[in-house]
Amino acid sequence: MNLILQSKVPNFWAQPFNSQGLWMGVIGGLIVGILLFLGLMFMPAQFRRPVVTFCTFIGGAYWVLLYIFPAPIDLQKTEMPTGPVESIGKWLTDANPVVVSISGTVTAFMLGLGIFSLLSIHLKRISRRQKDWVYSVVLLVSLVSMTFFGYADYISRQGPEGTKLDLQANWGLVNYGRDLLFDGLLQQMDAAMFSVIAFYILSAAYRAFRIRSVEATILLSTALLVILSLMGAVAFIWNGSVQHLANGNDFLLNFQLTEIAGWIRRTFETSSLRGIAFGVGIGALAMGLRIWLSLERTGGGA
Amino acid sequence: MQPQKSLGEKLQSLPKQVLYLILIVLTSVPLFFPVKVPNEPLESSIDLYASLMAVKPGETVLLASDWTNSTRGESLGQFNSVMRILMRHNVNVVLYSTGDAQAPRVAQDAIAKLNQERMATGKPEYKRWENFVSVGFFPNGEATVNGMGTSVRASFNGKKDFAPGRGLTDVYESPILKGREKVSDFPLLIVVTGSKTSNITVERLSGKVPIAFAVTGVMGPETGNFYQSQQIVGFASGLKGLYDLEGLMEDGVNTPDKSGNVVVKSSKYGPIPGFPGEKNDGQGRAYYPTLHFAVGLLILAVIIGNVGMFLSRAGGRK
Repeated sequence: MNLILQSKVPNFWAQPFNSQGLWMGVIGGLIVGILLFLGLMFMPAQFRRPVVTFCTFIGGAYWVLLYIFPAPIDLQKTEMPTGPVESIGKWLTDANPVVVSISGTVTAFMLGLGIFSLLSIHLKRISRRQKDWVYSVVLLVSLVSMTFFGYADYISRQGPEGTKLDLQANWGLVNYGRDLLFDGLLQQMDAAMFSVIAFYILSAAYRAFRIRSVEATILLSTALLVILSLMGAVAFIWNGSVQHLANGNDFLLNFQLTEIAGWIRRTFETSSLRGIAFGVGIGALAMGLRIWLSLERTGGGA
Repeated sequence: MQPQKSLGEKLQSLPKQVLYLILIVLTSVPLFFPVKVPNEPLESSIDLYASLMAVKPGETVLLASDWTNSTRGESLGQFNSVMRILMRHNVNVVLYSTGDAQAPRVAQDAIAKLNQERMATGKPEYKRWENFVSVGFFPNGEATVNGMGTSVRASFNGKKDFAPGRGLTDVYESPILKGREKVSDFPLLIVVTGSKTSNITVERLSGKVPIAFAVTGVMGPETGNFYQSQQIVGFASGLKGLYDLEGLMEDGVNTPDKSGNVVVKSSKYGPIPGFPGEKNDGQGRAYYPTLHFAVGLLILAVIIGNVGMFLSRAGGRK
């Protein structure tokens, strides 16, 4: 049994396996969770927002504090912190695995929510014989069969001999079923969908990439050089020709295709991408602050 | 009767079906004729190979497999090459994923196929539990990778894998994870990804463990940022990176071949051996010529479109 509040070395957040403190924590957490859940369900709508705002702030505050608060350096597992700063730092660090586990568990709940949503929409569509209801049947059959074979395959690997199923020679019906549905169908269709992009890129490049200005000319020639440098055969011929013409002249060797493309990458490409990344980072920080302080009303707002 | 189109207009209005047909032919036919294309590996690819080869036999590395078959053209080949190097070098692997729920299964299937390849050549099986463990998928990548920065053990708490003769067992009972509590206890973290998980890894774990990437061609430019700032030790980008890696596995670095020629030279490293005579070619060798044709067609299409535009303009001015 593994619980998120469990640790071999006890701390504020975790207790040893099967200890009284662990069970107290588990039962206490469960009760608080149920009360919170019921409280939110039956709470008048106007009071829900402050509760959600408070929980969001506490959740965000943990990560902010973990990042900015000084953490004890090289504190051994059995060592006690000295002073309030080190104690708070240790308390925050010890909480990290628990918070990460809770965060992962909550995120995993979205999977269940997604399945519930899919089932409710498509079962309704099938029962009412709405337009294209046959596709809903296909979706649900796919969902159920993939779940069945996936889970049966997982169960078949549970026993002591489970590792033998890593070799195809030892497979049974459910393992072949899982392989057919997952590798044979889902993954191939996934790859096929992705490969369609090649047609769009070609069509768009042919119709839209026109040299109508100086900027477009610079863009096109730069792109051409970088793309050509990725073609080993072209780079080999270009570089070979330059080396032959240069005849030991170091300056002329700078005109090798890989050198030109490398210079473009190192100077223009990375610096411009870094600029974009900074912009995105600042935007994300602003948005993060708005969500943390519940100023953001759209999307996940309560 | 409609006025006849000028040459410029004709060049600008090629039917897309024709373009698509040419693309299909040009990308399909070369697949049947895999040829060795001359190539000079990028410095970032050499650094990736050198980092993988620098891991001592018997050590354990973290391998984030965050790709599925949607990017398998690049990612599967990269994963196979990375795994082949680690397997041949007797390095153990802890496999985890934060990118996609399908990713652990896809990676395990790839390892199973590599194992069949090994066993067909008389090599020992790369055993689950003894050589690699699959920790599985973590739904909240940001928090998980952040948690790994504090304690890998705590982040992997409760995760199980199949132990021979015991069934599902806590991964930390595997011998390959013994004594590895923090991320700094691992000599290398490799991320094979088709998504943004590489960025998260750098943001959260940079400076705590040497990090290397194998990313798709689309992600190459932004990954170059991390490489230039030395936040990662090396990376392979897209098909070119994969072809580099396969070539390095064959030729090594600063290592003479049978005829005494050093194929790949690097002033940064001493001799790093390759694995000549073994199966080093994979998707890189198979797809790299195709990339030439596809990119060639793309360039040709842009040229035709622009020539058509200039001809039309010139005709209009007359």
